Amino acid sequence: MEQINQNKELLFALLAGVLYSIFGVLHIAEGLSINTGIAEFLFISGDILGGACLVIIGTVFLYGSREMTKGVNAGVSFVYVGILLSLVFMAVYILTMGGNLLDSIIVPDDYEGWSVMENFRPGIYLGILPLMGILYWKNRFSLNEILVVREVA
Amino acid sequence: MTKKITVALAGNPNVGKTSVFNAITGSRQHVGNWPGVTVERKMGKRVYKNTEMEIVDLPGTYSLTTYSLDEIIARDFLIEEKPDIVVQVIDATNLERNLYLSTQLMELGVKLVIALNMKDLALAKGNRIDEEKIQEFLDVPVIPTIASKGTGIERLLDAVIEEASKARKNDDPLSYDEATEGMVHELEVILKSDQYFAHYPSRWFSIKLLEGDENIIKKAQESKKYTQIREILRKTDEDNFETKIADQRYSTIQAMLRQVCDINTSQLSGSDMVDRVVTNKLLGIPIFLALMWAAFELTFTFATPFMNMIDIFFGWLAGATAEVISTEWLASLVGDGIIAGIGSVLIFLPNILLLFFMLSLMEDSGYMARAAFIMDRVMGRIGLHGKSFIPLIMGFGCNVPAIMATRTIEDPRDRLITILVAPFISCGARLPVYVLLAGAFFGRDAGIVIFGLYALGILVAVLSAKLMRTTVLRGEDAPFIMELPDYRLPTLKGSFIHMWERAKIYLKKAGGIILIGVVGVWLLASIPAPGSGGVFGSEEIYGSTDSLVGVIGHLIEPLVAPLGFDWRIAVALVFGIVAKEIVVGSMGVLYGAGEDEQNLSNILAAGAMTPLAGLGLMVFTLLYVPCFACIGVIKRETGSWKWTLFQLVYGTGLAWVFAFTLYQIGSRIGFLT
Repeated sequence: MEQINQNKELLFALLAGVLYSIFGVLHIAEGLSINTGIAEFLFISGDILGGACLVIIGTVFLYGSREMTKGVNAGVSFVYVGILLSLVFMAVYILTMGGNLLDSIIVPDDYEGWSVMENFRPGIYLGILPLMGILYWKNRFSLNEILVVREVA
Repeated sequence: MTKKITVALAGNPNVGKTSVFNAITGSRQHVGNWPGVTVERKMGKRVYKNTEMEIVDLPGTYSLTTYSLDEIIARDFLIEEKPDIVVQVIDATNLERNLYLSTQLMELGVKLVIALNMKDLALAKGNRIDEEKIQEFLDVPVIPTIASKGTGIERLLDAVIEEASKARKNDDPLSYDEATEGMVHELEVILKSDQYFAHYPSRWFSIKLLEGDENIIKKAQESKKYTQIREILRKTDEDNFETKIADQRYSTIQAMLRQVCDINTSQLSGSDMVDRVVTNKLLGIPIFLALMWAAFELTFTFATPFMNMIDIFFGWLAGATAEVISTEWLASLVGDGIIAGIGSVLIFLPNILLLFFMLSLMEDSGYMARAAFIMDRVMGRIGLHGKSFIPLIMGFGCNVPAIMATRTIEDPRDRLITILVAPFISCGARLPVYVLLAGAFFGRDAGIVIFGLYALGILVAVLSAKLMRTTVLRGEDAPFIMELPDYRLPTLKGSFIHMWERAKIYLKKAGGIILIGVVGVWLLASIPAPGSGGVFGSEEIYGSTDSLVGVIGHLIEPLVAPLGFDWRIAVALVFGIVAKEIVVGSMGVLYGAGEDEQNLSNILAAGAMTPLAGLGLMVFTLLYVPCFACIGVIKRETGSWKWTLFQLVYGTGLAWVFAFTLYQIGSRIGFLT
């Protein structure tokens, strides 16, 4: 049963790690004026530092999956911290969108032709995956208990 | 009748001592300084069951040696002031290290009550602690508390009152090996025979002498019996003896802990798990940088609508004022001077609030201590102490407390270097300059530019430290010992309080020194230059080359012209020495932008300066002379005008060289022109 749990975390870490890393690289590529061809469709902006942050999150997940593959149970720490970082960045992007939306109401002249979707970023929709992760593992990862995680091993 | 007692609150750093202090005293507290030094002294009062208690919060210390100023203050207070009782706050999740201080307090012969704090966290970690057994072993009352929730405080106060009414204990809390005990006994006999030592607990004084405590040896040297004392001390090897005594104390503590608690080692706690990642050799620093970037990005983007609201308000206020005041110079003073000046500073309040709020979240959660830990590797490479990183991080808020916080660094060379490089860390007062210029020239990339400036500040501080360490302040590296407190979920209330405390300083400055500064700029901008024939306060003279400020600006202009700055910038930078926020206020006045920050931004972007010069101005503002308050604190903390002047000349020289190189090279290659 515990092995099944660990496998789920491993799969989750791999999926999240690959997704965040790819989207991070795409952000960086667009920031370096390399046309990826899928930027508009996936709401990817040219943002080198923002992209680097997504790559860092992806690396955290992948690092955890590497440890778990080696049989290090504590590798699950990287999954939880990866989830936390993803949610922090999801919140940052949502607040940025909200801030600009509010600003467009206060000074509409500065936002002529602007749509709120211009601030929609992969950091928001990618965050749905970690959000599902935290809901699924909420009993093992309780924020109210000072981030106490019960190691099943 | 009400009885009065003095209660000293002691404990290691980060054990919740302040929470206990706040829970006991509530709002009845005041802050001063310890005599002769500028370390904060917190005192408070509480009347409980007919007893008036004066609570003195001692600085957090790990022991009662004399390695740091905090330890000296705590020890001197306990010996000289002799409080009626000492309450030691202990972190239940880290008993071994906390009890080390308890053994020293007991040897000092004080009446002691232990507040076993954060027991909930210990339980959450799976640790079981039998406080009654600890009480039996130590023979002092042990009261479990959760100070953040106020739990156990009344029981603690009951114990304080009861213990204070008892006589002092004279029995020895700890016994050492036979040889040590023999020497302690010999020394005690000598000490007891001299009235000079009557003030000190003889056993404690003897142990300290054997440990080679410099402060205690100095005191002993003033006694007539010092020759005899020296004879006994000659038999010991001071360095080894101190280690030997510490080992024996820890052995006693460990033996006791085996019987009084059950520490869970089978589970990795949440804190341990998070630490595995955020202190990871490869990922620690990138994660820290990513979080800092997120904080700056949000500071710029989310604050914008609130900045616009303030902007609109001051626009309305200036318009309404202009309608009411008919005298031209008075309308100019109020509109162009006061409202424009204050408005141009207050507009950045949302950025300041947001940045401080996010830094508070990082600090309150315990993450900042990890940041210091992971940066220690970097700091070590440049020959600086890991402890230097915390004052440097504090510098993001304000350089003044950052420089004061260097007092925790024991090594004088490390401390001096940290003081000298701390002003390069970009404080909140510089943020308005960045927000204005980055907003004007770099649009949606402003957040990245601002992040880059903060990174540049850190880089300059780090490289300068390396330079000083290898040249003027060469010396051995000191070991790095730092506690990583458990992560705590920061409370919104706590973070808001921290944010508000810092914002209050900003607001006070806006209403005080900045108001004086902008009125000063307005006055100089309104007074006609001798021989110009202009009229005071007239529109033709105001902020023009025919005003007094114009004359001053043109005098300084040759110094800054190679950096791409004109005379207005020169004047703004000079006034910025009073307080960095005045740079923006002064530019508003001198460019005739009035109260509207957006207006000033538009004027700058429309060609008043090139983006390259704007970037150079941000770099110059980051590195040149710090503000008056900071200069004062550098002088006070270094105790030397020589080092203070060194910082000012070095910083300004560096600022000039950076801005010059940037502007000259950028102009030649057509970068941001």
